Amino acid sequence: MTTHRTRHRSDVWPALLFLLPAGFGFVLFYAWPAVQTFYLSFTDYSLLAAPNWIGAQNYRDALGDARFGNALLVTVEYVVINIGVQTVAALFIAVLMHRLTKSSLVRGLLLLPYLIANVVVALVWYNMLDAQLGIVNAVLSWVGIDPVAFFGETSTAIPTIALVNVWRHMGYTALLIFAGLQAIPKSVYEAAAIDGASEWRIFRGVTLPLLRPVLAMVLVLTVIGSFQIFDTVAVTTKGGPVDATRVIYFYLYEKAFQQFDFGYAAALSVVLFLILAGLAVAQLRLLRAGSSDLD
Amino acid sequence: MTSTPIGPRWRKALGWTVLAVLVLITLFPFYWMLRVSLSDNRVLAANADSLLPAGFTLGAFERVLGLASLEEARAQGGSGASIDFWRYLLNSVLTATLITAGQVLFSSMAAYAFARLRWPGRDAVFFVFLTALMIPPIFTALPNFVLMRDLELLNTYAAIVLPFFFMTPFAVFFMRQFLLGISREVEEAARIDGAGHPRIFFRIVLPMSRAPLATLALLAYITAWNEYFWPLLVGQGEGVRVLTVALGVFRSQTPQGSPDWAGLMAATLLAALPVIALFVAFGRRIVDSIQFSGIK
Amino acid sequence: MHNKLSKLAALAVAVPLALVGCAGAPGGGSGSDEITYWLWDANQLPAYQACATDFEKANPDTKVKVEQFGWADYWNKLTTDLVAGTAPDVFTNHLNYFATYAAKNQLLPLDEFVTRDGVPTDVYPQGLADLWTTQDGKRYGLPKDFDTVALFYNKEMLADAGVAEADLANLTWNPQDGGTYEKLIAHLTVDANGKRGDEPGFDKTKVAVHGLGLDENNGAGVGQQMWSMYALSTGWTYTDENPWGSHFNYDDPRFQRTMAWFRGLMDKGYLPSLATARSGTSVNDGFGAGKYALSTNGSWMINSYFGYDGVEVGVAPTPTGPSGKRATIFNGLADSIYTGTDNREGAWKWVKHLASAECQKTVGEQAVVFPALPEALAVAKEKFAAKGVDITAFTQPVDEGATHLYPITDHAPEIAAVMGPAIDAVLTSQADPASLTQANEQVNALFR
Repeated sequence: MTTHRTRHRSDVWPALLFLLPAGFGFVLFYAWPAVQTFYLSFTDYSLLAAPNWIGAQNYRDALGDARFGNALLVTVEYVVINIGVQTVAALFIAVLMHRLTKSSLVRGLLLLPYLIANVVVALVWYNMLDAQLGIVNAVLSWVGIDPVAFFGETSTAIPTIALVNVWRHMGYTALLIFAGLQAIPKSVYEAAAIDGASEWRIFRGVTLPLLRPVLAMVLVLTVIGSFQIFDTVAVTTKGGPVDATRVIYFYLYEKAFQQFDFGYAAALSVVLFLILAGLAVAQLRLLRAGSSDLD
Repeated sequence: MTSTPIGPRWRKALGWTVLAVLVLITLFPFYWMLRVSLSDNRVLAANADSLLPAGFTLGAFERVLGLASLEEARAQGGSGASIDFWRYLLNSVLTATLITAGQVLFSSMAAYAFARLRWPGRDAVFFVFLTALMIPPIFTALPNFVLMRDLELLNTYAAIVLPFFFMTPFAVFFMRQFLLGISREVEEAARIDGAGHPRIFFRIVLPMSRAPLATLALLAYITAWNEYFWPLLVGQGEGVRVLTVALGVFRSQTPQGSPDWAGLMAATLLAALPVIALFVAFGRRIVDSIQFSGIK
Repeated sequence: MHNKLSKLAALAVAVPLALVGCAGAPGGGSGSDEITYWLWDANQLPAYQACATDFEKANPDTKVKVEQFGWADYWNKLTTDLVAGTAPDVFTNHLNYFATYAAKNQLLPLDEFVTRDGVPTDVYPQGLADLWTTQDGKRYGLPKDFDTVALFYNKEMLADAGVAEADLANLTWNPQDGGTYEKLIAHLTVDANGKRGDEPGFDKTKVAVHGLGLDENNGAGVGQQMWSMYALSTGWTYTDENPWGSHFNYDDPRFQRTMAWFRGLMDKGYLPSLATARSGTSVNDGFGAGKYALSTNGSWMINSYFGYDGVEVGVAPTPTGPSGKRATIFNGLADSIYTGTDNREGAWKWVKHLASAECQKTVGEQAVVFPALPEALAVAKEKFAAKGVDITAFTQPVDEGATHLYPITDHAPEIAAVMGPAIDAVLTSQADPASLTQANEQVNALFR
């Protein structure tokens, strides 16, 4: 992080002032519910009756819960496919847009999927990908490919859900990266061009390092967001077939609101919180997100 | 870049081709939504593999805009619920605008404190802010609902707006990363002139960050516009109901029922239009403010 | 806004253990002279709105506010409102949730009111009212409608296959060879080359029309419109007793043989695979698109099946099984009162009105569902007939005593969580039907 230069006084008071409104919202709408959830994770709580303190029992149960383990695995598979494809595609699109066109039309078109609510996106793709009636399989059959039950097969369900969400977030992620690209001074590229560096070398040597703060942010945000995959599953596969798409948030939701085992769900969410926080720390470290090579 | 004479042209053509394919993949589902929205629910299933609307009709749009009578709606395979589209549109515009204004301003202020001010514990506090991203919404919705009840704010605009008004972790993170990139010299010059932090923030930092601010505002607006479950919980009252909640009647009504496909797609497209208009307006702004990056 | 903000700031410090402290606290509802009533089916909204208008005429001092939310939203919002104590005074209840809500004291027992006002509970078809009483004998709802399962068929496909519609009333089924029922399904299955499922050279990998459609919903442990009509016709029962059994019978050979037969239909190409059924559109849309000749489904789906232009639809009862009887699950909805209502009398008056012949006839007029009261059912039957729908196939099992109550037990959500994946595994051939014995042990362990 930025080195502390002693000739500056500490800005504690202005910082407090600037943080006041956001801090207020944070404490009230995020921190306080989080504290409650943490407390409830040590209780037997059915939502509809007062919670009973049971110590770490929920956590012990979680350790032996094979379906929780399965949910973690399924979620990780989803995240790897989703983030992998999405990040590469978005980076690619952002660089293409940056090099080819400043047209806000192209950006606007690519952002369109983000305007459609998750649930509707899921419904539309679910409908388009049906094995018997979906238009995608109709098109495939015109070129002689047998129908694929994208959402229905155990093996393709998770990749399908991951790619549907790539479709929704690709343009959005590209826009974030594009905004970062805009912030790179033109002079840097001009210097590189004079040196006669190749496109790839410029990308590796100039663009990527200067993009690091934005890229770090994008990765941290999308990875955390990706772990919270829920809507698409809830609308389409509902965890099935068997347990193939029972991702962790869906499992949590079933526990909390269908089986009324809110305490246990709270414990699982604490475990997940720790995993995500660890991941975020690792990502921020690895990408040195706090510093830009411009500084 | 000019090392090979043919290269850049080919690369450009290739680049445009790839971009065109991506745009096509992006757009096809929209065409499909349009096609379904112009179809008749009763013949949709039988014409599933047709690229054209099945039994072309504007009935779905009439239903969404509340122009169809109950009998007409049900005859078209729609639900028996009627909706007051313009009223809900106004509510959506109002709440999304309030949310965006508050969120962008307050999150930028926080981001300034995290990126440009020096104080002990800064990065730790920032990380704590960031962890708000990791709290599942299903665990914040309930306590926040109870809070709104205790404040007697249920069925008010305030209840719909407040949880998103002061910050979102995304907005703070986003602005912080951009503010990190601003050079110190500009600020220090201002400080030598005797400017305080509020002045530096409002007069120098914000104007310099027009592009990321426009981007953030747009994304915040879209997110607020699409918010569904929270306004469903706290804003069901006729007077404050937003569009997403009102359009819920086009989703499945019964456990095994299908959605009113044509109605749902028409509703989705109509609800997206105002935001698309906004993007057209904002898009220009983003382009216009590109030059900011040369400041360094 | 400013005012609200200062109020918010003032309260922020003193926010109580909001979630914890207020769990299930009474004091909800919507003002003493107004009753809030929730339902989820938009198609029934006009009927209930009409009931409310009639009610208000008879009770000028009580207003009824009818609110409707789609199925998924309904339960999420209701749960949140129950926790916050802001639930509606009266709401449409479903058997999936009833036991849990009753056990957690969210519902008001109606016995006192029923006795006091002399409301008859023996006017309903057998057992329907019993679904809404708990083990301790308390009643938490008055039935509003009922449903059964029958066999929808595509008339044109039947005619093409040379099958007389009347024959469908006499189908027999057994888990060994599927009886005349499977023969019919096989005959109605057609591959891409036009070969029928019972003809030599039938290509089961390229099926154009499946004889029978597969419901896309996870049948979980009940299989209401998926396999219950077969399993129950063997004499098998879900539990040791119903309602409120405490031992499940998924280890019974009759049940497991039924599942083996059902999966066999998929292997033979007569029934779409689970993957296909779950890949996007609903079974009724597949039926409407001419992909299925037959489809078992519930009476609540009548308007969906009859709503496709250009598809001539008929309904037949489910086949007769080894027990010598046909079988269908018998289920229904009821209206319940929230314990936290601040107007118990008003809420009861409204529930009583909802259960009255007057309101049920109004509902019957709409021909959407089957009202619980026989006299109102007669109205619905007439109105359905006017739309060209003969509902006899659905009501006949009730008259014949061939209905089985929906299994009401404790732990229903946990049982569904075990049985859903277990049955998926069998139907996708990842596990043998015998594996259901182990699932049964998990289920029965919940009751220990």
